[in-house]
Amino acid sequence: MLHVWAHAGQEAERRVLQAQLERFNQQSGETQLKLTFIPERDYNAQVQAAALAGDLPDLLEFDGPYLYNYIWQQHLIPLEDLLPRALLNDLLPSIVAQGSYAGHLYSVGVYDSGLGLYARQSALQQIGARIPASAGDAWSIDEFNQILGKLAARDSDQAVLDIKLNYTGEWYTYGFSPLLQSAGADLIERRSYRVSVGTINNAAAVSAMQQLQSWIQQGYVDPNLDDAAFTGGRVAMSWVGHWEYERYRNAHKADLLVLPLPDFGQGSRTGQGSWNWGISRGSRHPQVAAQFIEFLMRTDEVLAMCDANGAVPGIKSAVQQSTLYGGQGPLALFAAQLTHGVSVPRPKTPAYPVITTEFQNAFQQIRNGGDVQQALNAAAQKIDQDILDNQGYPFIEQ
Amino acid sequence: MSGKQRIAASAVYLLLGALAFAFLVPVVMMLSGSFKPEDQVLVQAGRLGHLFAAEFSWFNYRDVFVRVPFARYLFNSAFISLCVVAGGLLVNSLAAYAFARLQWPGRDRLLLLVVALMIIPLEAIAVPLFYEVTLLGWRDTYWVQIIPFVANAFSIYLFYTFFLGLPRELEEAARIDGAGPWRIFFRIVAPNAKPVFATVAILSFLTQWSALLWPLMVTHSETVRPLPLGMATFYSLPPLQWGDIFAFGVMMVTPVLLIFVLFQRWFVQGVATTGVKG
Amino acid sequence: MKNTRLAWLFVLPALSGLLCFVLLPFVLSLILSFTNLRLGSPLPLEFVGFKQYQRIFTDPAFLAALRNNSLFALIVVPLQTGLALLMALLVNQPLRGMVIFRSVFFMPVVFPLSLVAVVWILVFAPGPQGLLNQLLETVTLGAWQARDFLHDSAWALAAISLTSIWQGVGFQMVILLAALQGIPHALYEAARVDGANQWQQFVCITLPQLRNAIIFVVLVTTILAFRLFDQVQIMTQGGPNHATTTIIYEAVNSAFGSQQVARAAAMTVVFFIVVLLLTLLQRAVGRQQRVS
Repeated sequence: MLHVWAHAGQEAERRVLQAQLERFNQQSGETQLKLTFIPERDYNAQVQAAALAGDLPDLLEFDGPYLYNYIWQQHLIPLEDLLPRALLNDLLPSIVAQGSYAGHLYSVGVYDSGLGLYARQSALQQIGARIPASAGDAWSIDEFNQILGKLAARDSDQAVLDIKLNYTGEWYTYGFSPLLQSAGADLIERRSYRVSVGTINNAAAVSAMQQLQSWIQQGYVDPNLDDAAFTGGRVAMSWVGHWEYERYRNAHKADLLVLPLPDFGQGSRTGQGSWNWGISRGSRHPQVAAQFIEFLMRTDEVLAMCDANGAVPGIKSAVQQSTLYGGQGPLALFAAQLTHGVSVPRPKTPAYPVITTEFQNAFQQIRNGGDVQQALNAAAQKIDQDILDNQGYPFIEQ
Repeated sequence: MSGKQRIAASAVYLLLGALAFAFLVPVVMMLSGSFKPEDQVLVQAGRLGHLFAAEFSWFNYRDVFVRVPFARYLFNSAFISLCVVAGGLLVNSLAAYAFARLQWPGRDRLLLLVVALMIIPLEAIAVPLFYEVTLLGWRDTYWVQIIPFVANAFSIYLFYTFFLGLPRELEEAARIDGAGPWRIFFRIVAPNAKPVFATVAILSFLTQWSALLWPLMVTHSETVRPLPLGMATFYSLPPLQWGDIFAFGVMMVTPVLLIFVLFQRWFVQGVATTGVKG
Repeated sequence: MKNTRLAWLFVLPALSGLLCFVLLPFVLSLILSFTNLRLGSPLPLEFVGFKQYQRIFTDPAFLAALRNNSLFALIVVPLQTGLALLMALLVNQPLRGMVIFRSVFFMPVVFPLSLVAVVWILVFAPGPQGLLNQLLETVTLGAWQARDFLHDSAWALAAISLTSIWQGVGFQMVILLAALQGIPHALYEAARVDGANQWQQFVCITLPQLRNAIIFVVLVTTILAFRLFDQVQIMTQGGPNHATTTIIYEAVNSAFGSQQVARAAAMTVVFFIVVLLLTLLQRAVGRQQRVS
């Protein structure tokens, strides 16, 4: 019996994975797989608890950059010898980058993510806004502010933008660290991953976050308690990832646009990285686990999952065949962002859990009108202190 | 009733009515929201006039059962709570009796220790306790949610206070007849202590029924997941549907409310007794 | 007497449970607070003396938590006790239907805190659609400006206080009610004969007779106020700007969010000391009463 943990995502996603598991069990014969869905909000906490207790499942998902802390804790085994070369060559470069650490490949993602600005074409046309054709063509921050103003003038409650303030947790780092990067700042310096001060709280970062704060304070942002601001037509734009595509398309059909995030000075930037599969060190059936990964990474299986959750397929062959992401598909922008370096991976360091917690705390303060510089300073301090406490997270090879 | 008394009575009713209204509004909101179709739940939530559902349907309730194994969560919570309560009633009352009525060396010092332990909440010891139960290999079971909570300092103290206040004549009479402490306890003391047993049972049940932090830390399988954890996770399960959350909430609270309504008199009496003596 | 072996039999199950699952973890927590233990770190454990305590007492978030817990206790304890007393007095009147009111006021007590928090998020919803905003606008005849209570540093703690009071007042009401019913009528008779009016009877008879019950209620509520966690986690996550963070919330966050177990242990030790002091204070005050 092989234990598999996956995050409890959208209903369609879960159904697909469940079906995939059942089909694999039918073919595989002796060693059967058992799947447990863990609620997304507590996923990392539960994985950490299991890791501490030494009973991680054989195969499990990791939420993007949380992976590196588990690698550092020596819980995972390298995959490059367990997976066929053809598959490894077919992976998107961003997937390989995400799963690699200290010279080995520790995880593989079935899909990568896309982040952008969804908008209603009719609303933009009404105010005569220019429609960006690609990430290189994105609105500048001044243009964006003007557009917000014009939209608000025509809107009864002035709220014209949804940035998913109803979400909790990792969303804020994923969705808004690109803001910092687009302005020329970042969460942490990427040379040695040791120092956050001077990167997360420099002038560029502060001014970028002040922009965001101004949108909220001017009333342009809908609190979105019912998660229906965009689908219900209350706002004209929604800053969110690929997972909302299906809902949004159902609500707005041909009126739906997928646009790059605005350019805060150094070019439009966006997020990347998503759930990825790894095999735990304690597993007694690593080969079977690897076979299941291989199964999930078959082109038609990848496409099935990406049809369900709207994510960017993790292998090149699937991207080409995808109706959503290939060629002129409606989400081709997301695929392009990943391959052309517009997307920036979140910091690849075991310090990531602390980095994201502190950034989230800073974001909450900023969102509530707190002093931006202070909030970012506090985050920088805490992050650097943590890295010091852990002696820079030295990787001890086993 | 004289005129002045009638005015006073009306004032009392008015005040009580206003308070009751304030108290009931969130409850009514939850109840009515649970019967509304999703697109009306929040839109109307703010409008007092629409507090009551225009369209009435059981859809949300059915949906809860479809999306999560509610029946399983319910069983888990009930089983765990009942085990903790049953075990606790036995174990804590016995200990309290020994403190209250028996003479033995070290009794008073141990009693002080028990009183001090009353202060320590679960959150303060959650992580070391987590390491402990991990070492014992109890993770992801029912037992890990039951055994650490059977012995309870607060329950012991409640029993102790009550036993102290019991008139000694009954026990004396039994002792003269030759009964040992076991028989005295089970045949005489316990039957006369119904209010405190009811109090401890209900307080303990309420605490276990709403336990969230501990199950979060020590379980992951749905087979042993209790209701509050089920509810918290339901809250983060996309898509977010308030109607379903309300239905979940209503179903979660109803069993406890029923128990309260049935045992109200005992409970009120029991709570009051301990409070007055405290 | 000969009870010793028997007494140990009576006491052993509960005592061993308490020792294993309460005392032992707490002592462990105490020890851990002097180390640098982090969740899951493969680095060796070190003893660092009082460094964790130094750090938390210079951390603005923890200091804010201490302040908030104290503020919260200062707001909630008198308000909740006062309201409970008022309700008990009202419900104690010899009028019809009092049992219904008593049940209504007690009902929120059986609601799990996590559920209460979720429902009250909607009550506090921002904008004119929010329930509370609507109510206030109606009551003030349009003078009220809609606020985002949970995200406004001036209102967030008040909002959480309101939620807690709603949830907890029924319990205290029941205790005070029973104590009220235990006051001998003879005392009131005698006072009336002496010519005392309603107010004098209240101040000179009712309040003193209720003193023990009130002290009990005040202590339990204060301890619970320092344990505040669930509502903060669900409704405000400690914000905005640390306006609602609490000791236990900081501790849980340190342990699980930032993976700093030792730091969290230090916080819980501070918590224990604070609550212990309050308990000792109550017992001292209570003892004075019995003597006089």
